Amino acid sequence: MKKRLVPYLFIAPYLALTAVFTVYPLANAAVLAFYQTNGPASRTFVGIDNFRFLLGDPSFHKALANTSVFTLASVALVLPLAMGLAVLLHGRQGRAKGFLRLLLFSPNLVGGIFVGILFTVLFTPRYGLMNRTLHALFGWGLEERFLGNPALVMPAIVVTALWVSVGFNMIYFLAALQSVDKTLEEAARIDGANRLQVFRYVTLPSMRHVVGFVLVTTIISSFQLFELPLALLASTDGKGPDNAGLTLITYLYDVGFNTGDLGLGSAIGWIVAALIFAVSLVQLKLSGLTREQA
Amino acid sequence: MSRFFTIESFPYGKAPFWLLALALVSTLSVVVTQSSSAASRPELVLATFARNHQESYQGIARRFEREHGVRVAVELVHSRALETRLGNALLAGTDVPDLAEIGAGAIAYFTRGPLSDVALHDLTDRIEKEGIRKRLVESRLSLWSSRGRVFALPHDAHPVGLVYRADLVAELGIDVSRIETWDDFVALGPKVVRDLDGDGIVDRYLIDLPMGAAWGVQVLLLQRGVSLFDERGNVAFDRPEAVETIAWYLRRIEGKDRVATECGWGQTLMKAMIDGLALFYIAPDWRTHSIMTDVPNAKGKLRVMPLPAWTPGGRRTSTWGGTGLVITKTTRHPELAWKLANALYFDGAELGRRFAATGILPPLADAWSLPAFREPNAFYGGQRVGELFAELARETPPDWATPYKTQAETRLSDVFLRSLEHFRAHGDAGLKDAIRRELRTAREYLETVIGRNVQARR
Amino acid sequence: MNPLRALVLAFGLGLLVLVLRSPKDPRPAVRYLATGVLVAASAAVVSPFLWLVAAAFKDRSVLNEHVFFPPLGDWSSATLNLDNFRRLFQGDASLTGKVYFSQYVVNSLCVASLSTVLQVLFCSLAGYAFAKYSFAGKGVLLTFMLGTMMIPGVLLFAPVYDMVVGFGFVDSYAALILPGVVTPYGIFLFRQAILSVPNEMLDAGRIDGANEFSIYLKLVMPLVRPLTAAFCLVCFLGSWNAFFGPSVYLHAQQKLTLPVVLNMYLGVYGSDQGVFLAGTLLAIVPPALLFFALEKEFVSGLATGAVKG
Repeated sequence: MKKRLVPYLFIAPYLALTAVFTVYPLANAAVLAFYQTNGPASRTFVGIDNFRFLLGDPSFHKALANTSVFTLASVALVLPLAMGLAVLLHGRQGRAKGFLRLLLFSPNLVGGIFVGILFTVLFTPRYGLMNRTLHALFGWGLEERFLGNPALVMPAIVVTALWVSVGFNMIYFLAALQSVDKTLEEAARIDGANRLQVFRYVTLPSMRHVVGFVLVTTIISSFQLFELPLALLASTDGKGPDNAGLTLITYLYDVGFNTGDLGLGSAIGWIVAALIFAVSLVQLKLSGLTREQA
Repeated sequence: MSRFFTIESFPYGKAPFWLLALALVSTLSVVVTQSSSAASRPELVLATFARNHQESYQGIARRFEREHGVRVAVELVHSRALETRLGNALLAGTDVPDLAEIGAGAIAYFTRGPLSDVALHDLTDRIEKEGIRKRLVESRLSLWSSRGRVFALPHDAHPVGLVYRADLVAELGIDVSRIETWDDFVALGPKVVRDLDGDGIVDRYLIDLPMGAAWGVQVLLLQRGVSLFDERGNVAFDRPEAVETIAWYLRRIEGKDRVATECGWGQTLMKAMIDGLALFYIAPDWRTHSIMTDVPNAKGKLRVMPLPAWTPGGRRTSTWGGTGLVITKTTRHPELAWKLANALYFDGAELGRRFAATGILPPLADAWSLPAFREPNAFYGGQRVGELFAELARETPPDWATPYKTQAETRLSDVFLRSLEHFRAHGDAGLKDAIRRELRTAREYLETVIGRNVQARR
Repeated sequence: MNPLRALVLAFGLGLLVLVLRSPKDPRPAVRYLATGVLVAASAAVVSPFLWLVAAAFKDRSVLNEHVFFPPLGDWSSATLNLDNFRRLFQGDASLTGKVYFSQYVVNSLCVASLSTVLQVLFCSLAGYAFAKYSFAGKGVLLTFMLGTMMIPGVLLFAPVYDMVVGFGFVDSYAALILPGVVTPYGIFLFRQAILSVPNEMLDAGRIDGANEFSIYLKLVMPLVRPLTAAFCLVCFLGSWNAFFGPSVYLHAQQKLTLPVVLNMYLGVYGSDQGVFLAGTLLAIVPPALLFFALEKEFVSGLATGAVKG
């Protein structure tokens, strides 16, 4: 009898804290999405007007487009790069491996604001390290305004995000590589497969849970991109030229806290959550992560 | 180590053990060092975001405390955090500072709704009755007004001039006193714009202007008297002068008549100044001071001059940003707060000291005759920078504040970039029409957004 | 031909030589290429840190003149010195006297370590419950947890601030720690790792008369130590570098944490970049130390959290 209470006791802290700091605010935000607020004071009920406005709002469309592009680019670039680096690193031994691992992970040791400021300096026309390197290698890019040219802002944000997330996800893949069953790989090699085939048909499939996990977390965090553009494009409050750096969450923050309409902000938040949910649902169903093992 | 417990036997592992130890030690340390701050709330709490302001205000606060027998706390808060915190605090209704210094854009958040809902004290009548209004540069109140009521005291006048490399300009034989209009200025282009080391990249431009819209176009528009919004909060940038200015601006940053490049901010701006990448830099009063601290090696090489006018005899300055002091309605001591605000902003001797320390010109005209404002500035070759700015300050244009300012700025940047694209593709052909179209689209969008605001109608 | 292009060309030549020397056996060439890629990647990742180190030691007057260090001929105490650090340590005025850099470090350490310890405790407890017990509402809760992971945090910020003020612990570390102390991310990680603990072991423990909590503490947790170590690092990093929350919730000067304090050096009217960067350099030290200490466990730990399932 006592045993039946035990699990509830164990999850009690989670339940209590979630009820207070997640459920109640969620309910609050849910209701708020149908209101229009004016900053600190009163609120007026406006029904679905917030959603109707957003549907036709060019800024919202831009934010949605930017965020989707960023998510796609993140997934398409971060995963292969992290996997590639993990594979390369996996073959090393000893101290070189440990040292390189630390180096590649090190961007995660610093805060988001610093990353933003750092890359603002790195992307400076004429003097920035990025500009100079690109010019030295390809003869282009010295005077390019990466953070001022609408076409180049998103690539700049993607590169900045890469600097941080490739190292982090590389660690996941490195760990997964270490726990792949070596006997399976040996067997495949004995059967005549070359290294590429071994990787593709034996190693990768046995890493699919990690890959799935990294994929989901990358998608979720990409949709919620907020601090990075805010720090990188601080002069325009995270929006960039012609809203080229505007993401869904920076738009939410701008609308909710700069303009003061928390109702509209909540409406945006709900749309974002719904989007993430839809995308993740598709992805999870495909990989069956929610299924529990016996 | 006792036999009954070793670090290895800690169930969670070594790292959590050490972290637990660290947590206990640091918590103890924190409790000990922070327990002394359990004092009760001072009568007045002032929040500011600039370190040098805080230092200046501490002195005044101590005197105020003695004179009135109350306690005053001056808190330093990061600017973004301050506005968020103020907004949230007002939402929650507690923990609100009595006075707060906010940046120009922030007033928008508080004046969004009906006038009766504004959580800040309406200072209009006070400044009239106590005769402060006529001592101030009237245009500065535009930043802090909504529907004709003033909600903050202006901290500064922020006139805008041009800082220039006097040594390089002299070498080229340019006499800046002959530059009266922007046309005179642009005519210097061919003499100045050069590729100095033959690598195919131009190394010297005439002026530093941003390429991605933002502040450059706005400062110039304000100089011409075109503000984003008018006094009543209507969109006001859809005007012929705006079309002309944007077209002028585009020609300066691109194409055969290009004379400008973007020198950026901070580290890169200072390097550009040292290298002479641009000869002229748009500089409000505060920038002249930050140049002194950030580019000490340029001492003696720079001077300040007024902006060239758009028409002969026209306005030779503009304005850029500002800080204001608000008194929140939740304060329990509004009279005291008002007295403190006056002491902070309108106390003569202190204003002189503050100018010497920050280079910021106060909006109080009678302060400008103080000796501190007439001092020759050794960094700028002995020039009386204070006097120069004081003269310009009388003419600073109004910059009307509304809750939609940031959105308007984004729309303006949108207009600018689309026009730039057109200019790149088609040159001058149809440029003005394109700009007009874009401005109209921007205005329509803003009017839709403004029209949505149900509460402002109340 | 600039040095960078020369370098790339030389590397390519070396690769060509290796390939030609033994066309049938690609291993040396592949290894050479792999090393080259790793070195290039590391250089790309590390050069910003070199900039940081250089900027922290450069004197204010030359901060803007050189990208990294000044040319060797210009090295002197006028161009490279500890001035930034001196200003960093000189202390800030506050209501109760001067506050020094060491205080901010202790504050950050306190918040980060407390937050980490509590997160480990609560998330592991919940993770264990979800892994090894069946109880009513379990499936619903799991889905609910997954759902909450998708809610953007900014959305909830205003109501949470409201509540924190209502409870009266604004301007305290409770405001920083409590809202985020149990995360679905953490619970999922522990759940996945604990799933692979054999049930027989738990049953044996029960037969021996141990109560549920000591089974959790003495049998299960030691088995997932690598994951716990990894999770510690992730939590510590997140809390150590957090800016938004502390900047809004903390008021008194002596309670501020490092990111908040350092960012105040980047003012609107003029920034002291050198001091900010010097502080950032110092702020990397504790997380780096933690990472060094936990390296092996960190790598293997994350795997057990993410692999199984």
